[in-house]
Amino acid sequence: MSRQSAFSLEGVTKKFPGVRALDKASLDVRVGEVHGLIGENGAGKSTVIKVLAGVYQPEEGLVKIGGKTLSQVTPDTVHAEGVRFIHQELHLVPHFTVTESVFLGQELSGRLGLDTKAMREDTEAFLHDVLGVDIPSNRLIRDLTTAERKLVQIARALIDDAAKVVVFDEPTAPLASDEIETVMSAIRRLKEQDIAILYVSHYLSEITDICDRVTVFRQGKTVGVFDNITNQSGGDLVYAMVGRDIADMFPAKVDRATSPGLEVVGLGDGVSFEDISLNVEKGEVLGIAGLIGSGREELIDTIYGLRKAQTGTFQLEGEPLTIKSAAQAVSAGIVLVPRDRRHDGLVLSMTVTENATLATLNQNASLGIENRRVARERTEAQIMALDIRPPNPDAVTRLLSGGNQQKVVLARWMAKAARVFIFDDPTVGVDVGAKSEIYQLIDDLATGGACVIVSSSDPVELQGICDRIAIMMRGKIIGELQTRHLSVDELVSAITGAKEIENSTYAD
Amino acid sequence: MQTKSVRHRGTRELAGYLPLIIFAGVLVYISVNAPNFLTLRNLELILMQSLPVVLVCAGLGVVVMAGGDDVVSGGIDLSIPATAVLSAGIAAVMLTQGWPLAVCGIAAFIACMIVGLLNAALVTRIGMTPLLTTLAMFVAVVGVNNVITSSRRINVDHPFIVALRAQDVLGIPLGIAVVAAVVAVIYFATHKTRWGLHLQAAGGGRDAAEISGLPVRRLLGQSFVLAAFTGFICGFFVLARGSGSSPGVQDNLMLEMVLATFLGAAFSARRVVTMWGAVLGAVLVAAISIGFKSMGVNVFWTGLIKGSLIVVVVAFSALAQRGR
Amino acid sequence: MIWAMLQRFGFLLVFGAFFGLFAAWNPVFLQGGNLLNVIEGSAVLMIIALGMTLIVATGGIDLSVGIALDFGAAFAVVAMKSYGMDWFGATCAGLIGGSVVGIFNAILVIGLRISPFLATLSTFFIGSSVQRIFTNGGGPISHRRMPEEFRNLALGDIYGVPTEAVIATVLVVVYFLILERSIWGRRIHAMGMQRSAAIVAGIQVNRILIMCFIAASVTCAVGGLIAAANIRMFTPLSGFSYLLDAIAAVFIGAALNARGRPSVLGTVAGVLFLSIVANGLNLMGLNFNTKDALQGIILVSALALAVAQQRARHNFAS
Repeated sequence: MSRQSAFSLEGVTKKFPGVRALDKASLDVRVGEVHGLIGENGAGKSTVIKVLAGVYQPEEGLVKIGGKTLSQVTPDTVHAEGVRFIHQELHLVPHFTVTESVFLGQELSGRLGLDTKAMREDTEAFLHDVLGVDIPSNRLIRDLTTAERKLVQIARALIDDAAKVVVFDEPTAPLASDEIETVMSAIRRLKEQDIAILYVSHYLSEITDICDRVTVFRQGKTVGVFDNITNQSGGDLVYAMVGRDIADMFPAKVDRATSPGLEVVGLGDGVSFEDISLNVEKGEVLGIAGLIGSGREELIDTIYGLRKAQTGTFQLEGEPLTIKSAAQAVSAGIVLVPRDRRHDGLVLSMTVTENATLATLNQNASLGIENRRVARERTEAQIMALDIRPPNPDAVTRLLSGGNQQKVVLARWMAKAARVFIFDDPTVGVDVGAKSEIYQLIDDLATGGACVIVSSSDPVELQGICDRIAIMMRGKIIGELQTRHLSVDELVSAITGAKEIENSTYAD
Repeated sequence: MQTKSVRHRGTRELAGYLPLIIFAGVLVYISVNAPNFLTLRNLELILMQSLPVVLVCAGLGVVVMAGGDDVVSGGIDLSIPATAVLSAGIAAVMLTQGWPLAVCGIAAFIACMIVGLLNAALVTRIGMTPLLTTLAMFVAVVGVNNVITSSRRINVDHPFIVALRAQDVLGIPLGIAVVAAVVAVIYFATHKTRWGLHLQAAGGGRDAAEISGLPVRRLLGQSFVLAAFTGFICGFFVLARGSGSSPGVQDNLMLEMVLATFLGAAFSARRVVTMWGAVLGAVLVAAISIGFKSMGVNVFWTGLIKGSLIVVVVAFSALAQRGR
Repeated sequence: MIWAMLQRFGFLLVFGAFFGLFAAWNPVFLQGGNLLNVIEGSAVLMIIALGMTLIVATGGIDLSVGIALDFGAAFAVVAMKSYGMDWFGATCAGLIGGSVVGIFNAILVIGLRISPFLATLSTFFIGSSVQRIFTNGGGPISHRRMPEEFRNLALGDIYGVPTEAVIATVLVVVYFLILERSIWGRRIHAMGMQRSAAIVAGIQVNRILIMCFIAASVTCAVGGLIAAANIRMFTPLSGFSYLLDAIAAVFIGAALNARGRPSVLGTVAGVLFLSIVANGLNLMGLNFNTKDALQGIILVSALALAVAQQRARHNFAS
């Protein structure tokens, strides 16, 4: 069945100073299909979206919508042709109602100002009929779940009923696994209404699940178009994307000598989790898995002293320890690579040197006055060791890529010679190449005798780098799994509660 | 688990009302100790007294709505009281020179609009932070006003100004009616119109507003102009309250405005600056000032009482926030 | 090229233009004695602005700097007048007076988690009221027979340089070393720029904030000592007049800074600019009100220019 083209890009080239973001790339999305677009970070996915949106003007190439070549591609012409964008960020006003959010900027007028009744009814009808959900239209955005907010965002783009093409940019990125299905089924409903959908995502399982066809980008070029997507296509897609296998990303598993490290007993914060006991030995990588809402993030924050613990004790290498603040954790040698590195990891407007030395200022100072030359030299050594790019100690960290920012955070903690490293979703927003470098660094830390805790929402990552994985659900640890003979599928079913954990090493 | 969270919600809601409860408590205390405090005449006096502050609070409320409620980086307009004093100064000087009221009004209006447009331009074109812009503008406008009035006190006995202070319309004092009308119009504009929703979106979620194609900078600019307009109106009430223009009014007005507006935020359920909150804050602050005065408390203590009120109310509302 | 130069030095050029204008108008302006006067006259503002710089660097603002100044002056004058203390005791008393204000701010901001703007506004209200109550309405407390050593804080000189200028200069150097060169300064700037990242990096933000509030108030109290020594009395509520100028100086300085951060050298530039403009306008023989208005207009324009220049520089760089 060959349907007509809803929109296509042909031979599009877009250059930025020093880079060819798109190099004669092409993309063809047909009416009534969900078309996946995948590629590593920097492959040109977001550039293509911006070209289609009329934000970037390409040097070469054509943009066709409904078979007609657009002479001018501007945000307005594209919108008029029925192309809608669902951006990755939610961009909603927290204290607005659902109705107000859906109609923001496109309000309906009645005789006396705003026609609030019509807007309310339209909103509820649209959510119910088109997206298949019932969200009260007078609820405030901040009282909605993330998935519901995503649906509100979709409703806002489509409420005018003129959409022919909808571009979803990482629609599930902020969602918990159990929320994803809500959004997915809404997308399927849109497809049934003969809307062409371009689905851009990092999550290959979603791509193989929902897409009819997939285009793969690499370094600004279209390197493959897959017509028959099945659940088995994942491996092929990865190969097309990176030109190598998944297994190569992770360091080989080795047995490392271990000795007592960090022990947590009966930790609880009184709200999100209770009675958590964990034990990471030196030379070991312990994973913590759990869906959003399982208390995993709160647990990490509490271990690091960012949240108040109600119950529980800590022991480090056999010595009792109190952690009431991050400063206490750091001085005990426990360090955190936080999940939100742009917010919590780095002071973005400071340079690489300033960030990398922030926890070890005393080492580079005499009488409290900083010796900038020493700080710079030490940082240069670390830039070499971690291969931070650009290799410039004075570069402002805001301008670094995600992977390199993460390495700067690591550089800071390695300078501190910490004993316990906690990684919280360490590779979110990091491209595949830098990912495998970070995995290698984590492995090196454990080999060097540090205790490592990796909390992650990515089962593949956990299975790949951890020795043991503790599974959290609804604020409790429901079991622990050894990873040596564990498949990702088994891990996922344990995390989502699809299967009970057998042979649990954790007696509950 | 269940009962615990319910109890939490209960205490949180209670904590949400604490600022109001504290105020109610203080007012009850005053009315017990000053028997004539709760008379209709006295309440009218309180309202009359609070009119200038109510007006500038309404203006500030609009700017905060459009710019967000972070005091340092968000929307704030400290220059409104200076604008009010400028309006009063121009009107007073021209009235005493015998110009007709309408001409004086137009001159004051133009001057105030210039201030508002300058604020808007400096913030949205040049990119200065509102706090800094309007603080500097405050200094400049007060300076200009001192040139206009030669820093003298100017008595005004124009019938219109006197009427604002002393005349009743249908049993309601004219001044209160005018201010109520102005506040009602601003409320309607900011809460019931498309423009108002856009304005609130600009302050509530800048990214969201920009993505929706709203002209965020223009909205913020417009809020400064509207704020200057409230300053213009307020000028006449400054004249009415003090029977003329006198130097130094602006400092106190600014402090009262900030106090009332941010106290008002503590009254609102969402802990954000709202029009109603600001207006209520202004009235309550006036009530407490007058109340303590009628109890015979030395006027030197009012600053202490106001300062402590901020501390108590804001600390409690911070406490309620933390309980989430 | 010319445009780039303008962007970099535009503010400096305007500064130079004012300088030239004042010099051309009244030759007295350029005489050594007058420029020394400017520096001497700006000492108190400089000191207050340094305290403000510290607080703005932590990411806050301090509306109570004037109160700290008043308290410094009041404690010192009362210590000498009512308790007969010598200059050293009075100085210590003044500094303690300032620290009371700082501690109060710290309690409100860190203990009760009130935002610095509202917390220091409350301190301002309360502090003003306390002064009124204490002086029974705001009358000055004069102390004619002040110890000579104390008076010298304002009127003396060290090798011909006025003591107050020396004190201000020493404080500038100390602040520069701490805020721009020391490890504590790095921590302060880190927490001012991105507090959550500073916390995760193990920086004890609350302890730093407490220290900064106290240090800033004690610094302002030094300004109060000089002010009291100068006029041999404590005038209640006199600190308020420095508040707006101090904020303006800090933000002019921040706009001149390459990263848009409050910095000690930037603040020094801001204070000198304000003082030189004030002095130049004075020498032009303008009427007091006109001078005031011009000063206000120049302040707005200077801030706008400095910010615009910084924006341009950023666009140029990226």
